[in-house]
Amino acid sequence: MKRLAFAAIALLVIGCATYTSKMQHSRDAFYDGHYEEALEDLNKLLSEAKGSDHYLYRLERGRIRLAAGRYDSAIVDLQEAEERFSDIEGTISLSEEISSIIINPTMGEYEPYNHEKILINSYLLLAYWLRGDREGAIVERNRIVSKLGTYINTLNEKDRDELDIPFSRYLAALLYEVQGLEDDARIEYRRVGELYPDAAPQAVNPHLTELAVFIDAGHAPIKVSREIRGYFERNAGVLFGFFFYPGNENPLVYNLGVVSAFSPDNLGVIFTFAFPQLIRDESIIHSYRVVIDGIDAGEAVLLDDFEETTVSTFNRKLGSILIGAALRTTLKTLAQTKLKDEVGGAADILGKFFSVIDRADTRSWQTLPAEMFVYRLETTPGEHEVFVRYLDNCGEVVAVSRKVRVMVERDGKGIVYFASGVAGDV
Amino acid sequence: MNRMVLLTLCLALLTGCGSSVRVIDPTTDPAEEANFSSADYFEITDKMMNSIETNGFFELYRAEHGGEKPVLLLAKGLKNNTDEHIDTRLILEKIRTAMVKEGIADYVDDHAFDMALDQLNMQATDLYDNSKAAKIGRFVGAKYVLRGTISNLRKSGGREDINYMNVTLDIFEVETLLIKWTDEVDIKRASKRGMFR
Repeated sequence: MKRLAFAAIALLVIGCATYTSKMQHSRDAFYDGHYEEALEDLNKLLSEAKGSDHYLYRLERGRIRLAAGRYDSAIVDLQEAEERFSDIEGTISLSEEISSIIINPTMGEYEPYNHEKILINSYLLLAYWLRGDREGAIVERNRIVSKLGTYINTLNEKDRDELDIPFSRYLAALLYEVQGLEDDARIEYRRVGELYPDAAPQAVNPHLTELAVFIDAGHAPIKVSREIRGYFERNAGVLFGFFFYPGNENPLVYNLGVVSAFSPDNLGVIFTFAFPQLIRDESIIHSYRVVIDGIDAGEAVLLDDFEETTVSTFNRKLGSILIGAALRTTLKTLAQTKLKDEVGGAADILGKFFSVIDRADTRSWQTLPAEMFVYRLETTPGEHEVFVRYLDNCGEVVAVSRKVRVMVERDGKGIVYFASGVAGDV
Repeated sequence: MNRMVLLTLCLALLTGCGSSVRVIDPTTDPAEEANFSSADYFEITDKMMNSIETNGFFELYRAEHGGEKPVLLLAKGLKNNTDEHIDTRLILEKIRTAMVKEGIADYVDDHAFDMALDQLNMQATDLYDNSKAAKIGRFVGAKYVLRGTISNLRKSGGREDINYMNVTLDIFEVETLLIKWTDEVDIKRASKRGMFR
């Protein structure tokens, strides 16, 4: 009975902190607009991070630095992360693969989804452009176009529609316009228009003096670890056990009687089946009104739904994630039932320990917005003051962004970017 | 015997722990990836200089102007149409250095204008010996501009990366916009990462 109680407590209490739980404070501070606090916390996480998470934290920090207007350091973080992800693309680390299967799925290095790889360059483009380095922005534009060709254009129509990144295409098109490359701009805008007809400009005119306002909306979906945990033991020939299911704090107790297919002895078997679940975060903001030089210019339109793209990608990978989780559970259970006699109990203890601490891989780029909105209008050359009013579904203003001053050249394109958190937690 | 083996192992371990510095020849440093590398700067400079020396325009200029060398100006940088952040100004500066060293042309320093103007203004004050001060109105205007474009076309898939790069330079006459010299260098490189990391 003591063993049962110990197993129950162990299953409930012990467990490694997941990426999502570690990121919570920094993520909340970022979305609340407390960038310094978010960065301080993230620096601490980064200093304690194991190698497999290092570049994911760099991505998070790059995003926060970009939002805080620290363009140079944002570029360093995002570029180094991009370089690493490019280096490991298509490669395998045997030690990481084995430890991911045997111990924990987070033992393997984080590899971003393809749409995240394109977004890294999109945020780099913004960072270069906003710091006034047009040449640097063009290089990032070229990288975006190259990656769109590799990761998106080769997909079938259905997948392409679900996984495309119109935000990146829009940025690329805008820079093509700046360079006077109308045809190239038209190709990218056409694709934006196929996905979000309201977001694409009516006509492409590089000689028009225009302002484009990009607005982050909502919070990226996050992954949480869900676990089905259990304990079995055979006592007096009867197989007895209990389970903890996600969302159910009370264990479900089973008496399976004299079942011979599964034969743990009286030392018992602890098992955990851990899998990630994607959680969306509903926003109360319904619309975004852009105010330019004190005049309510208009409502921003949806340009990209990153959340849907993430969910689509996640669902495509869910099968292999579940197979991996099942394999891990099986190996750890087998270690307790089959190997312990041969290795004097060490495998049994390790199997129990790794079963108890098992968690799903909850790593994802968590400082991304859920959506991207855009507002574009023809304007006069010179300096303009821009801010955004955030409205709920009743049309009430629930928050107002900070005011940004932007210089627009004659016959040029100016951009303003309102990152997550500029209006506090909305 | 066992002690010898142990000592050898310890020495081998210690040797592996020491840091080392080695000098690498930048002109032959092999590229590890398909990306632009330091050796490319030298390859481009060498090929462009060969082309400039055999072009004939500079000799003709000197012959027509009593041995005087043409005065050139560097563009701010090469137009970078690649997907890499390359210091394109370095390519132009290396060619400028080679042309000046070879005595092919003179260059005006586009970066020194403000500094020179400050000095001239200062030296025109009573703080300086006016008889020895640098004279105002003797800046030389460039007749030609060296400029260019660097572009690339990359094909990446999985672990393979194929990168075609093209550098095109030209020298145009400021008065007429006529191109007096132009040439290009093509570099194509493929790299494949190992399956295991």
